[in-house]
Amino acid sequence: MSAASTPDSGLTGLTEDEALAMDYALGALGRAERKAAELRLVGDPEFRARVERWQQQLAPLDEGTAPVAPPASLWAAIAAETISVAPRAAAAPAPAPARGWWHNLALWRGLGIGAPVAAAIAGAMISAPPGAPDLAPAVAEGPTLRATLAGSDGKPLLAAAYDPASGQVRFAPVAQSDAGAGKVPELWVIEGSNPPRSLGVIDISAGSAHSIPKGRLAGLKEGSILAISIEPIGGSPTGAPTGPVIATGALAAG
Amino acid sequence: MSSQQPSAGAAELSRLLLRAADGDAAAFQIFYDRTSAKLFGVILRILPERQEAEDVLQEVFVTVWRKAATFDPARASPITWAATIARNRAIDRLRARPARPMAPVEDALGLADDGPAPDAGLVASQEARRLAQALAQLEPRHAAAIRACYFEGVTYDELAAREQVPVGTLKSWVRRGLMRMRGHLEGGEA
Repeated sequence: MSAASTPDSGLTGLTEDEALAMDYALGALGRAERKAAELRLVGDPEFRARVERWQQQLAPLDEGTAPVAPPASLWAAIAAETISVAPRAAAAPAPAPARGWWHNLALWRGLGIGAPVAAAIAGAMISAPPGAPDLAPAVAEGPTLRATLAGSDGKPLLAAAYDPASGQVRFAPVAQSDAGAGKVPELWVIEGSNPPRSLGVIDISAGSAHSIPKGRLAGLKEGSILAISIEPIGGSPTGAPTGPVIATGALAAG
Repeated sequence: MSSQQPSAGAAELSRLLLRAADGDAAAFQIFYDRTSAKLFGVILRILPERQEAEDVLQEVFVTVWRKAATFDPARASPITWAATIARNRAIDRLRARPARPMAPVEDALGLADDGPAPDAGLVASQEARRLAQALAQLEPRHAAAIRACYFEGVTYDELAAREQVPVGTLKSWVRRGLMRMRGHLEGGEA
């Protein structure tokens, strides 16, 4: 065989570095060579610039690749791993200290909630960056906000649509769910780092609409998390979720 | 040269990424809605097994969320940035396998049959048309080798075996081809 491993690029006018940058950007390197190139990327800005230039020049090839819709359940899995942790917090070396009962994963687990959902909820509460403007004015008008609420397994349980004009949240169950005898579902909104606020006990049967008292509309905005917990009849006696959280989902304009 | 105005779509995606970097979950979800099918397509060409491709897509968006703050609109378009993460993750997964299944026999020598630009009719942007034109100037077999590496994530060694040519020959096809391609893209003659 030819001396394929010779460091010479074999082409005049093409330096070794340029050849390596090209090979890496193209994706043609074997595992070990690839790892070696990635080490160089970290510590060698000039090499990184060479790689990025090739990446940019090759990138338009992707336009020829047909898009394929991923399964709907994938977003819930991603949300559980991401919006639970603010990017800056994720980059920080140490986790933020727990600041309240809602940060206590053991508590959520004790309530029978899967870790991803617990993390999503706890994280949703700490995801507002420090220094961000706090409460936005109450939403009085604006686009309809929608959320798909999924259980800890990522399976969508129900869709919610909030219409600011009427102050109503309408529900459409996706899957059968049963609160159980003597229990009722209660709706919560979690905005930024605030603890969950109750939006009242709800009826999630088909097409039901739930009117939200005017005083509680603040916080129903894009990015806020809706959550449903199972509570004793009449709703949570403490003002905070006491039973298992069966579904969560983020509000988005739609 | 054309003025490289970022498209309205790219500007919007950049804004969404910057908001996601600040912890804006809704912006991140919209970014996901706009880009996930594209990235899933890219991953599936490298990892055709669906479950594996889904796992990688999930990893990719977790990475996008964590690294959103490092995205620099001056250095890359948001979709190129995200697609690069997707390709790298998919290739890492491919390389982590103990051994690749051999390509079916009918795929051998397939490069010669791969036309100059089967995707040229589908591409929209000016950059993509120029790239397709540049690749069309190359020996069809060389252009096809470039495509096979880029889209499938095959190594030089694997592609050389598949094509039954020495590795050195294959490398020089690809490298010469890429240098000529760059020459065309940058306006000079290669």
